[in-house]
Amino acid sequence: MPALDAVSIAILLGSLLVLAGILSSLLALRFGAPLLLVFLFVGVLAGENGPGGIRFDDVGVAYTVGSVALALILFDGGLRTRFASIRSVLAPSVMLATVGVLVTTLLTAPAAKFLLGIGWIEALLLGSVVASTDAAAVFFLLSTGGLRLRPRVRATLEVESGTNDPFAIFLALLLVEILSVGGQSWSHAAVTLIRDAALGTVIGYAGGRTITFVLNRVDLPQGLHAPFVAVSALVVFAFGNSVHASGFLAVYLAGLVVGNRQIRAHNSVVAFLDAITWLAQIVMFVLLGLLVWPGRLGDNLVGAIVVALVLMLIARPAAVFLCLWPFNFQWREKLFISWVGLRGAVAIFLASIPLLVGLPGASMYFDVAFVVVVSSLLIQGWTVALSARKLDMSFSRADPLPRRVELDLPGQMSREIVGYPVPANSPFLKRGLIPNWARPTLVIRKEEILTPIEAAPVREGDYVYLLAPPEKAQALDRFFMVAPPPRVLDAEMLGDFFVPGEATLGALADIYGLQVAADHADVSLATFFTEQLGRAAKAGDIVALGTIALLAQKVKDGRVTTVGLQLDEPEAPATIGGRAKALMQKIRKKLSR
Amino acid sequence: MTLTDLIAPAAIIPALKVNGKKQALQELAARAAELTGQSERAILEILLQREKLGSTAVGNGIAIPHGKLPKLGRLFGLFARLERPIDFEALDSQPVDLIFLLLAPEAAGADHLKALARVARMLRDPEVARKLRESSDTDALYAVLAMPQSSAA
Repeated sequence: MPALDAVSIAILLGSLLVLAGILSSLLALRFGAPLLLVFLFVGVLAGENGPGGIRFDDVGVAYTVGSVALALILFDGGLRTRFASIRSVLAPSVMLATVGVLVTTLLTAPAAKFLLGIGWIEALLLGSVVASTDAAAVFFLLSTGGLRLRPRVRATLEVESGTNDPFAIFLALLLVEILSVGGQSWSHAAVTLIRDAALGTVIGYAGGRTITFVLNRVDLPQGLHAPFVAVSALVVFAFGNSVHASGFLAVYLAGLVVGNRQIRAHNSVVAFLDAITWLAQIVMFVLLGLLVWPGRLGDNLVGAIVVALVLMLIARPAAVFLCLWPFNFQWREKLFISWVGLRGAVAIFLASIPLLVGLPGASMYFDVAFVVVVSSLLIQGWTVALSARKLDMSFSRADPLPRRVELDLPGQMSREIVGYPVPANSPFLKRGLIPNWARPTLVIRKEEILTPIEAAPVREGDYVYLLAPPEKAQALDRFFMVAPPPRVLDAEMLGDFFVPGEATLGALADIYGLQVAADHADVSLATFFTEQLGRAAKAGDIVALGTIALLAQKVKDGRVTTVGLQLDEPEAPATIGGRAKALMQKIRKKLSR
Repeated sequence: MTLTDLIAPAAIIPALKVNGKKQALQELAARAAELTGQSERAILEILLQREKLGSTAVGNGIAIPHGKLPKLGRLFGLFARLERPIDFEALDSQPVDLIFLLLAPEAAGADHLKALARVARMLRDPEVARKLRESSDTDALYAVLAMPQSSAA
């Protein structure tokens, strides 16, 4: 039966493709290439013009699969975001997600118009297609890169990428509508936008609450909790879209609501969505890769690359600097946020809309979007870690996080079991320290299960399982982290005591009996440093305060944040033996560096 | 350099059981009040005032709370080894298990600072800290503190 054979072959090909995507992740990890890019290329290679030779041009299928995948990715992104961590960045992120998208669109459009020789509306449509940062790409690169970014920068990027798709999608749809059925008044457009966003917010919030409520009230069979949540997310998304609200915004918000309330089977839900998100990424990127027709790209290649560069180097930075201007970000933070404005599947997905509705010259959008996304992933994606380091955005310590295992306790939402292997040199092993809200419950040593009392003292290589509130589980990580070796400092550098840079001269003088001019009592140590040095401070600077010396121990942006107090003259190694020893220590230090 | 001029064997607590920084300071203030005849309240207050400026934990599990008391006769040191390490808001976020309390008379001036520097520098020596952690009774602890630093290192 040839019809059935065709189905089997389609399934075989499809699953082999996805399998290739999964296995290619190994390759990507080895070479540090952005994974999403690799997935995309698996699709391209398998496609019509690649060695695979698979003919796939069903935009409808691609659009449907893309929507579902994107909805799940956004939901997962919301689910993982702690509301507490984003509250402080809500204003800047929303600004970026709205005004930022608009500015990016407006600044990219002229480049597109002149380089690609298209009309203004078409150019604006192209601008809006590539204007939003991609939630999938950003979440993914930030979480798999092992980066520990400054919390505010990270939260801003994540919330921005979660909330700007709806706006970009709206803009693109609006422009497609203008192109296909003719103009609309701007006021009408604005009203539609506000209605879509407001309705999306309501649906998302209500949907999230309903999911939580049903999940916690209805006794589903054990394995169905996670699928229930995932499918409900799709319902929220599709419902939102069918009542002409922003389904993408709704599904992200629903994820945010579910992720921040106590829910049953929290860990299995998170694990399930994690798996589904991976699959969604792979399927979506492979499919989009299949859809691209590299042979056609030739015509617009140079123009498209220049558009990509204009977007990366001019439009995005301008939008970021403009939008974040009122929010007191450092210029380096703004630069980093500009650079990590990764484009991804959303752009390609949006570019498929003109194809879907049959606009004239629709394939141009698709081709250019493809080039923009590939350049962004290639240039920006590959350099995320590097730029984070160069711009001093990540914590310099790259200690791997400990392998935390979280287990749900059935019928118990306020506690879960958290497990860790005990590494050598971890604070837990060395000091037995644990916060009082966590209770060790069992220890596994060489397949033997022990109570904490039987197991005391805990040894390296044991597995410790603790009872802890789920929302605090992450805070246990640092107790099971391999502590970095204490930093070796020059003996002369070392203060006897340490105080923060914002401590005042007056407070210090009071405690140590120092003489300070009356008008200086309220001056902070950091300011005193700058005053005395007559320039920005750097680590290692020393200034005198009465009989003691102040050492700039830690400095951030030219201001001292931690001050070492040297209360007495450093002891000079008086004897020959002492001097020799000091020399030896110095040499040893040099060697150990 | 030894610390014997600052501390007496009676002012050594070999295994203090406390659950946190606040309790540790309270316990130490109480013991110091007993030994010096000063007000426990006043001692605790000056210690807390200094902690407000920034933690006196100096890293590697050591804290040196200190302050000036108007009516104190001479420099007074008190040493406690904790049974269980506690969080002391240290810069290196290491829990603290060795605490040296130093109180100085208001008039001590430079002597106060020199003494503080001495304590800090002696305890900074990893060898000294290791020996203190390994000693479990008053005599052994006193012996470590009495050891001239150059041979302890």
